[in-house]
Amino acid sequence: MFEIPTLEALNLAPALPAISLAFGVCVLLLLDLLVVPKDRKEITAWLALAGIGVSFVLNLAVFNQTADAFLGMFVADQFSGFLNIVILVGAAISILLSMDYLKRTQIERGEYYSLMLMSVSGMMFMASANDLVMVFIALELLSIPLYVLAAFRAPEAKSEESGMKYFILGAFSSAFFVYGAALIYGATGTTNLPAIFQAVTAIVAAGGSPMFLLLVGAGLLLVGLGFKVAVVPFHMWTPDVYEGAPTPVTAFMSVGAKAGGFAALLRILAVALPSFVLADGQTTAAWQQLAWLVSAATLILGNIVAIAQSDIKRMLAYSSIAHAGYIFMAVAAAGTQGMADAAVQAALLYLLAYTFTNLGAFGVAMAVEKDDGAGTRLDDFIGLAKTRPDLALMMALFMLSLTGIPLTSGFLGKFVVFKATLDAGLVPLAVIGVVTSVISAFYYVRVIVNMYLREGEGDPAAGATRYVNWGVYAAAAGTLIMGVFPVVVTNLTDAVTLAATVIR
Amino acid sequence: MPEVSSAVSLTSVMLFIPIVGLIILLFLREDTQREAIKYSALATSLLTFAASVLLWLGFNTSQPGLQFAQRGEWITSLNISYYVGVDGLSLLLVMLTTFIMPLAILASFRTGVLEERGRQKLYYAFMLLLEFAMLGVFVAQDLFLFYIFWEVTLVPMYFLIGIWGAEQRIYAAVKFFLYTMAGSILMLLAVLFVGTQAGTFAVPDIIAGVQNGTINFPFDGIFSTQSFLFLGFLIAFAIKVPIWPLHSWLPDAHVQAPTAGSVILAGVLLKLGTYGIVRFCLPMFPEASVAWAPVVAALAVIGIIYGAWVSYAQTDVKKLVAYSSVSHLGFVVLGIFALNQQGIAGAILQMVNHGISTGGLFLMVGMLYERRHTKALNAFGGIWKVLPVFGGISLVITLSSMGLPGLNGFVGEFTILLGSFGSQYLGFFFTLFATIGVILAAVYMLYMFQKVFMGELDKEENKNLPALHWQELAVLVPIVILIFWIGLQPGVFFSSMDASVNQLVTQVTDVAASVALR
Amino acid sequence: MSVQIEAYVILSAVLFILGAMGVLLRRNAILVFMSVELMLNAANLALVAFARQWNQMDGHIFVFFVMTVAAAEVAIGLALIVAIFRTKQSINLDELHQLEG
Repeated sequence: MFEIPTLEALNLAPALPAISLAFGVCVLLLLDLLVVPKDRKEITAWLALAGIGVSFVLNLAVFNQTADAFLGMFVADQFSGFLNIVILVGAAISILLSMDYLKRTQIERGEYYSLMLMSVSGMMFMASANDLVMVFIALELLSIPLYVLAAFRAPEAKSEESGMKYFILGAFSSAFFVYGAALIYGATGTTNLPAIFQAVTAIVAAGGSPMFLLLVGAGLLLVGLGFKVAVVPFHMWTPDVYEGAPTPVTAFMSVGAKAGGFAALLRILAVALPSFVLADGQTTAAWQQLAWLVSAATLILGNIVAIAQSDIKRMLAYSSIAHAGYIFMAVAAAGTQGMADAAVQAALLYLLAYTFTNLGAFGVAMAVEKDDGAGTRLDDFIGLAKTRPDLALMMALFMLSLTGIPLTSGFLGKFVVFKATLDAGLVPLAVIGVVTSVISAFYYVRVIVNMYLREGEGDPAAGATRYVNWGVYAAAAGTLIMGVFPVVVTNLTDAVTLAATVIR
Repeated sequence: MPEVSSAVSLTSVMLFIPIVGLIILLFLREDTQREAIKYSALATSLLTFAASVLLWLGFNTSQPGLQFAQRGEWITSLNISYYVGVDGLSLLLVMLTTFIMPLAILASFRTGVLEERGRQKLYYAFMLLLEFAMLGVFVAQDLFLFYIFWEVTLVPMYFLIGIWGAEQRIYAAVKFFLYTMAGSILMLLAVLFVGTQAGTFAVPDIIAGVQNGTINFPFDGIFSTQSFLFLGFLIAFAIKVPIWPLHSWLPDAHVQAPTAGSVILAGVLLKLGTYGIVRFCLPMFPEASVAWAPVVAALAVIGIIYGAWVSYAQTDVKKLVAYSSVSHLGFVVLGIFALNQQGIAGAILQMVNHGISTGGLFLMVGMLYERRHTKALNAFGGIWKVLPVFGGISLVITLSSMGLPGLNGFVGEFTILLGSFGSQYLGFFFTLFATIGVILAAVYMLYMFQKVFMGELDKEENKNLPALHWQELAVLVPIVILIFWIGLQPGVFFSSMDASVNQLVTQVTDVAASVALR
Repeated sequence: MSVQIEAYVILSAVLFILGAMGVLLRRNAILVFMSVELMLNAANLALVAFARQWNQMDGHIFVFFVMTVAAAEVAIGLALIVAIFRTKQSINLDELHQLEG
């Protein structure tokens, strides 16, 4: 009844970027254990960067093709190719930010980088997952190392608490995901996303009890992924986890986990369920209403609660909730017939923009942070423009980008997302989006006010060592280049389509 | 539409001179090369002015369309292009910008607060960035490009107020930022909607489409798609202008800003709003413009009276001048929504006039402040006796601001009043109340002049004020020259815009008339 | 006559809900953790039942993956619980309030 597939049939070539990284993790663990001396752990970091570089090159090699691997469970297309770039760039900057931070906070252990790479490979599998089983495995591969990383500062109570909270809610959300997947499997008899699409179309036409399973299943899937990307009402873990985790981990988590989560969300919604309950004459999918509400609630709550924060990490945590809301606008837009590709492109652009900007902001936050984890209040930024004009200027750039001021990547992201939302006919959602953008200016501008306008001693920003500077400069360059020459990236995203994915 | 060349045009050259200057500035060192920083900023702005003079000289006044235009590819997938050029509507405002900037920079040389707070390199860098952004707003012909420049003007102005402002600077800066951002982000939605519907962001293409009916923003009354788009743009512009009742950020920003900041704010930034109405609201949404004209004009008239009234009640010179801006800009808006040749031409000229005379008034207040470190009206008195030259120049500027015949302010205001009276959409009552505003302007302006310069020299501190420095004279003299030139030879300036304004009026009224027939 | 598929699905749903309530109501980290396992196993039951209904292997294989992953989660989760117990001498989740909010 069962044949063992040959290696040719598995067709691993398209999956090489992700596989190479997973393999790299094993090599890195061994090298770190056997070769790298105990007091020279930055060697491990460089090896990890090399691994990311290899994966990046392989990704460029497979970038412009659409091919499947693992018998249709894995698909490499422009969507995954672009997301891989986002993820790898984010990971590389995160490693740069981590190197000195680990040393000065005395948590420099070699496993750190292996765990990070493991999570990155999970994100890459997530970007390519074309089957619910694959999504699940990738989700766990992404999450489990992050639980450990969040608690990496153990035995410090805050960090342990952060890891514990993240772990419990992460496991909880995975359970929702699996149960949702089980119900969808029950309704359709398959876990392959494109095949689910065909089955769903048939079920919608016929109606009956599978319809109920499908509805509940899709709902649970969304709940599970909603936890991962931190949208309201599944956001409450975010501020605590972000505050307690070591700052470079927070930075990495805020962009990587988000990219992975949205990758799965977009692919499931756009490939498996685009016509979900699309009865005759209707042009919007049933889940659009839900996505609309989630997006609006996330935007409003994230932006308003962020105003009340006095700690930069918590402020950025709520800001990351808010930005999940903006990306979710694109998700909602994908629910209008014919809008899937444009919405997916918008979401990808937003993710890349957010990756650069947010990593940069966390980088500067790290530079101001003290060795014992203090120095993360917004007031600690007072006078930074005098002591470190370069860092202050870049922080200002990141804050303006997060607000969405032109000539920064954040503006491009908002522009395409708002455009997609309007094109999809969701005018009220677009209005909520712009109004909350204005609200967001309150708390982003406050950082600039502290750095430039308020008089004070000024923090020496002792954490701004060489590699942190490199990371922040790289993020600033990305933010500016995307803002001034958007063509560089829009050329890549323009090619992205999710419509013609392989069915096995 | 004729194909627009993608070759580098004079407009682009002028636009990017400040950026080149900015880059040079970044390589100079704050601690050792302070003079070099100052003078390279000044030289950059003068060079920009020279480039704009070339534009003026090469400008063909009989041609209504864009000149010195350039259109290059930018974000092709979104139909966004780098599209710049000048026409009769923008030429004078470009000139105004490049004229005001060197004066503002030169005036900064003698501003105490700069010495006190330091960070001069940052200051001049923001000035040049601001010049770049403001010029960009006036020459951009693509909605996306325009929006970018529009938003970018916010950032340097925010810092200028926030770092080098007076005591309440942080409050004023944040208020300025949030107010303007709230307006402009609504405009972003409208921009997106228009661009999506039209399939292009190029303004001349959109206008042509609206004219020949290929692009149609549905209009059936004051609450329809087109009206909402119109309002999306208008509210953003109205906040910038500011049109009553959206003006409350203005007094704070003006009073707290450093002198050069106030000069640029009053001289150029406010005109971005009125220019935006002329450039975008009227030709893209003609039916809505006609439908909303009486409402907006009524607000403008309220602004004229209100601004004048509140000005008169002020005890702070700078606040008085700030509120007078609300009043003066009311005239400009009234002229625009007269929707006829005289009204719009008068409005554009009045934008320039207001830039020159109110800019001059703020310079005057700044120079007083540098000498006395106060802005309270009753701290002065009899200054004429100590500083006769300064008093004379200030008198000319004050008279120009209140609209004395023979000076520039009169020409603009009178043309606007004629336009409003002859307008088929406005008429007698609008003109009547606006005229009351003119009279009130005379009252509060003369009141201010009398309190400061006339009367007894009864305060000890005022007796030994230092005379004008040559740099201060160099700032004021060009303003006085321009005041007389526009006042005595307005034809030169009107003729540069007549063709474009004529075309604009036809665009609006033709479409609106065809709607009336339907 | 075998048991109807509906029975399995309903049982799994009951288990899942019990597990979810356990996570939300229990304060002991170990019990919370066991509740999560209960949810996962509810999903496993449903998967097996559906695989039987469709007469396929896919569902069974999914179950194996879920079990493996659950084992990995156990390893991490217990390690975290032990670490926290060492610092705080308690595994009551309510006592985790170092972080504001």
